[in-house]
Amino acid sequence: MVKFTADELRRIMDYKHNIRNMSVIAHVDHGKSTLTDSLVAAAGIIAQEVAGDVRMTDTRADEAERGITIKSTGISLYYEMTDDSLKSFKGERNGNEYLINLIDSPGHVDFSSEVTAALRITDGALVVVDCVEGVCVQTETVLRQALGERIRPVLTVNKMDRCFLELQVDGEEAYQTFSRVIENANVIMATYEDPLLGDVQVYPEKGTVAFSAGLHGWAFTLTNFAKMYASKFGVDETKMMERLWGENFFDPATKKWTTKNTGSATCKRGFVQFCYEPIKQVINTCMNDQKDKLWPMLTKLGITMKSEEKDLMGKPLMKRVMQTWLPASTALLEMMIFHLPSPSTAQRYRVENLYEGPLDDQYATAIRNCDPEGPLMLYVSKMIPASDKGRFFAFGRVFSGKVSTGLKVRIMGPNFVPGEKKDLYVKSVQRTVIWMGKRQETVEDVPCGNTVAMVGLDQFITKNATLTNEKEVDAHPIRAMKFSVSPVVRVAVQCKVASDLPKLVEGLKRLAKSDPMVVCTIEESGEHIVAGAGELHLEICLKDLQDDFMGGAEIIKSDPVVSFRETVLERSCRTVMSKSPNKHNRLYMEARPLEDGLAEAIDDGKIGPRDDPKNRSKILSEEYGWDKDLAKKIWCFGPETTGPNMVVDMCKGVQYLNEIKDSVVAGFQWASKEGALSEENMRAICFEVCDVVLHTDAIHRGGGQIIPTARRVFYASQLTAKPRLLEPVYMVEIQAPEQALGGIYSVLNQKRGHVFEEMQRPGTPLYNIKAYLPVIESFGFSSQLRAATSGQAFPQCVFDHWDMMSSDPLEAGSQAATLVTDIRKRKGLKEQMTPLSEFEDKL
Amino acid sequence: MFLALHIFFKLYSQYNKPHKIKNFKSFGSLFPASLGSIGPSIRLLLQSRGQKLELNPSFRNFFLKPYTNKNSAARNLNSDTRVRVTVKTHLCRKNPNLIGKRSRSSFTLAMDFESNYDIATTADFIRTHKFTRVALQFPDDLLKDSTRVVSVLRKRLRSLRESDTTGSGDEPDIGLFVMADTAYGSCCVDEVGASHINADCVIHYGHTCFSPTTTLPAFFVFGKASIGLADCVESMSQYALTSSKPIMVLYGLEYAHSIQQVRKALLESSTFCTSDPKSEVHFADVPSPYMFPSKDTKKLNDLQEETCGCGDNSSSDGASGAAYSIGGLTWKLLEGQSMEDYSLFWIGHDNSAFANVVLRFNACEIVRYDATKSQMVADLSQQRRILKRRYYLVERAKDANIVGILVGTLGVAGYLHIINQMMGLITAAGKKAYTLVMGKPNPAKLANFPECDVFLYVSCAQTALLDSKDYLAPVITPFEATIAFNRGSQWTGAYVMGFGDLINLPQVQVGNQEEARFSFLKGGYVEDFENQENNVEEEREDLALANATEKALQLRDNCNSIIKGGAKSGAEFFANRTYQGLNIPDDNTTPQSFVIGRKGRAAGYEDENNKH
Repeated sequence: MVKFTADELRRIMDYKHNIRNMSVIAHVDHGKSTLTDSLVAAAGIIAQEVAGDVRMTDTRADEAERGITIKSTGISLYYEMTDDSLKSFKGERNGNEYLINLIDSPGHVDFSSEVTAALRITDGALVVVDCVEGVCVQTETVLRQALGERIRPVLTVNKMDRCFLELQVDGEEAYQTFSRVIENANVIMATYEDPLLGDVQVYPEKGTVAFSAGLHGWAFTLTNFAKMYASKFGVDETKMMERLWGENFFDPATKKWTTKNTGSATCKRGFVQFCYEPIKQVINTCMNDQKDKLWPMLTKLGITMKSEEKDLMGKPLMKRVMQTWLPASTALLEMMIFHLPSPSTAQRYRVENLYEGPLDDQYATAIRNCDPEGPLMLYVSKMIPASDKGRFFAFGRVFSGKVSTGLKVRIMGPNFVPGEKKDLYVKSVQRTVIWMGKRQETVEDVPCGNTVAMVGLDQFITKNATLTNEKEVDAHPIRAMKFSVSPVVRVAVQCKVASDLPKLVEGLKRLAKSDPMVVCTIEESGEHIVAGAGELHLEICLKDLQDDFMGGAEIIKSDPVVSFRETVLERSCRTVMSKSPNKHNRLYMEARPLEDGLAEAIDDGKIGPRDDPKNRSKILSEEYGWDKDLAKKIWCFGPETTGPNMVVDMCKGVQYLNEIKDSVVAGFQWASKEGALSEENMRAICFEVCDVVLHTDAIHRGGGQIIPTARRVFYASQLTAKPRLLEPVYMVEIQAPEQALGGIYSVLNQKRGHVFEEMQRPGTPLYNIKAYLPVIESFGFSSQLRAATSGQAFPQCVFDHWDMMSSDPLEAGSQAATLVTDIRKRKGLKEQMTPLSEFEDKL
Repeated sequence: MFLALHIFFKLYSQYNKPHKIKNFKSFGSLFPASLGSIGPSIRLLLQSRGQKLELNPSFRNFFLKPYTNKNSAARNLNSDTRVRVTVKTHLCRKNPNLIGKRSRSSFTLAMDFESNYDIATTADFIRTHKFTRVALQFPDDLLKDSTRVVSVLRKRLRSLRESDTTGSGDEPDIGLFVMADTAYGSCCVDEVGASHINADCVIHYGHTCFSPTTTLPAFFVFGKASIGLADCVESMSQYALTSSKPIMVLYGLEYAHSIQQVRKALLESSTFCTSDPKSEVHFADVPSPYMFPSKDTKKLNDLQEETCGCGDNSSSDGASGAAYSIGGLTWKLLEGQSMEDYSLFWIGHDNSAFANVVLRFNACEIVRYDATKSQMVADLSQQRRILKRRYYLVERAKDANIVGILVGTLGVAGYLHIINQMMGLITAAGKKAYTLVMGKPNPAKLANFPECDVFLYVSCAQTALLDSKDYLAPVITPFEATIAFNRGSQWTGAYVMGFGDLINLPQVQVGNQEEARFSFLKGGYVEDFENQENNVEEEREDLALANATEKALQLRDNCNSIIKGGAKSGAEFFANRTYQGLNIPDDNTTPQSFVIGRKGRAAGYEDENNKH
């Protein structure tokens, strides 16, 4: 009973004003996938009856099993509006048919890279918020991301059914809750306001907020009710809408609207009077099986039920009635069509964010105008594993031009630099495909403004890429995506059977391709490492690796490994010196910690090796109190030339110093990558070159003499400056009822975590707890927490900062020393740290 | 295209006067400035060590010239490219009583000595092949015995000649030359050193890797280490009982002499090997100590097979399966069996030969019997770790742009072939190769070439594994390079050390070239765009030079001077350095008044004595 065909879809793809690309974003478990089901059902892909139970977009077995979305899934919907409903639509349109490319995204923080990929190729976002839990940490994160991409949001307050069935709150209380939810969301949106995007806040009275019950498949906007009552009261629809929200009260006894509660028993808020109460009444009647009362009520509302549906009882009856009365799809789709931008509108202001090249070239113009005749500009945001194991669909959005089967395209990878041949391929698209639920339909071509999947490019696209026509050699790529989480949890994997190694290698390659966030690397000791954003993410990745990408070959995974950083606490207790192997050159150095916040500034790219030295010295002197001249004497950053450590030249009038600079820098890159304690990266250390004594003959101070010496003196200065370990720390946000707090605190205490914020959600019995938790303690945290709170608390962990461990790693038996020994053992190093005397020389 | 630095450097000095090299400065003059950076480093090294005048062993090459033949030796040594410090001393002549007394007082000891150094067989070997100039190569730890070996051997040769009166009585005296401290590993036959004295054969003493020679025949004296026979047999039979697989016994060559006894003792001590076919014990054949050069590198394996003479045939009874050889040991397996079906039992030290075996047969269960401590060692996790570490190095090498080929041998047969093969491999992979000859590598020497991302060490099987922790860039073996630079080849766990196996290694059919390469170091896909460019360049070869120059002259961002893996060639690397040399066009043209510089020695200048 599919209501539309691929041909129909393809036809509407050409009407760029009638397309809406949107993603559904929310906190975990706020009902995205369930709500999406209702929309899919409206398009006739699944039966209306099962909508809300099928979770159409959770295509993977493990998604269904766990009840969470893991991968973002795209789906194209066809929807025909009636003339009547469109009469108030002001924007450009082309007929009544609409195409909605919808992407359902995961809500768990571990998979937020999927959200990023989804947002890039959409123009609007449906933000789903649980009416009881309210705006949560992940809601905020995804909203921030969306606005950063210039995605216009609309809001739906979901799980309305909980209000009616579970909590049984009265109208006024419910209104307060809803308005608080909307207010909270608006506060976030206002923070990230963007002049080009205009006012992005949402207002129920303007129709940008919907109220929905995804599970039961019904939803409404104030528009629905406004239309209903407008004729009755003989007022304008917009006027009616305004009255249905905010400080507008109606007293049926006097039949008067007021802006204040008159205090009489019958005076109620417009929303309560006209929206909440009627729904409550219908639901209650259905649930109580008072069919004699129900039928007249339904007739009054203009709802006709099929005869077989009349036999239903209780919940199914209620569901059916509500679906017929207030179908979720109508309300939500109307809201999207009215309030979310079409590609042609959105690309006008998004082009600045998207295009890396000059904004006046033909590519920028084509994107701006969403020009189907212009040059092809297509961004591939993710790779979707195909049913054919090991192959991928390249999934993306056409921003201008058309992509067609057999077209030769230029693939510009993330490292592509215009004018060079690096990371560039010219290949032809084997097939263009659109997604219709679980099925894929091949189409001849896809014009701009649409999402598309392509076959045959997976070998040349690593994670994302920009595609353009073969001939367009001067096109710049579309800006790469920025991810909000970083892969901090790592496990070492190896195959059970040694000869499976090639399979493992191949599998890791595929895994890296399929997930933009996972990082597959190799350790110095030869172990393969898979790094992910969190425990859950890793678990999913390893499952994929074993089942899909390695053909079921068994793998052994180690316990999760956390990487540490090495830093120093104080300035070196003395200037240390190392001699070169030939004893003719001496380097004198001291280490000191970088100023607070400077390492983070380097991480964020506020200060870096490519800055103009003048700007850099300005920032350093003004914000971090550096000496102006000194700031100009930064030799380098490291590791990898961009890391948060630096070498500063403090020498005065030393000969030949510039000659050895390159060698010292090479030694520094080496040393800062493998610190003296446990060969972890260094962080926030500033090395000051105090003096150097060099042989007068250039051949005696070459790289062979200086590089190893520089490395030794870096280590020596690190060891004399009270070295410390830094451990990564998560910020955990937990939402739980009061009675679960005790359990949360005790688990956090066990795990070395500490709470820094505890707040009761106004109007709810729920508490919001924010805490810091060392990543190393976080393994098994969520299951322990669930056990301790009988399943009432669910944590969301995001990497927050590096925290210094107070114990001294040089003091035998201390916690840090044990850690260092463990790390060294794992890396196959000598368990004993190399003593200072190995690095420091005496005169 | 390739900047090839071939620097052959030898130092000859008199054996017993290492502390009195007076004309030290003359070393420096050896190196013209044009040699680039390797010259300075070697010179520097010499000077730094020169303080104590305990020269780096790799540069020492002592020739002890016996008094009977000194003139001819001196003549042959004369060469203007080498420094020679000739001080005449005759160790043996100075105190001839010493040796005489000792041998007289302890006759049995002398007998031991003779048998340990295989004097009789050596003399026979020299005699039968009618060699006239024989080089005796000693490793450092046996050098103390060299004079005694020479005198005993000479005596034996003389007596042989006297007894053998059939020939003309006036054949010339056989010249014996002691050769020590080879430029490369002391396990290999130093053919270059031997050819300096026009030797026509080399007698090699001590631990050997049994690498085939190129030009000279060689005779190996393994030495004879003592072994507790009963204890060894005891542990062996115990292990055989616990092991489910048949056992292959391999051993260090210093134990080769007693293997026959071990075998006999094992057979006598128990009858288990007949009852249970599963716990069979096989022995690798004792290698023949002779080796004749083979020009044809393709037949290196055959060469080894034909030399197995003194081994017991019973071990290979009915064996017609795959033949194996490693470090001189050879054995055959039964038809249809592979090494995975065996457990290995190694008798000997935990040395490079053993490491070699562990790497090569990494799929087998291996135990080691330490003969000096008389105990079994089953924990080999450290050895296993090496393999993983090598795997990491291969992955690292894949990301390299510039490869330095270190020539670590000038003797092992096929080394030139391998170097050329590697050169072709590297170029085909779109990387740059430079050939460097520097004797034994050490971190300071290699750090003089910071532009190299990885070093490829072409040397004999047993010196090939350099632990790379101290090195700025990893050092890999030719086999690893083959895996790293051949797109599409995979690390399967098989590991090959010798050249012979490598040359015979089937060329991997390169499959799908087009997919971007996954770099496990960067954790993502990278593409080696040279592959793409190569195709374009072939089409218009006349423009190749122009293209190359164009690339060389690209203006680069100066900020990141030394990023590993950034530069594509040595020239580009140097162009990216912040220090480019003296800046001649200085704006300040007014003459500067001179200042007085520092005084004193580099170890502590006068103006800073009280500073630190």
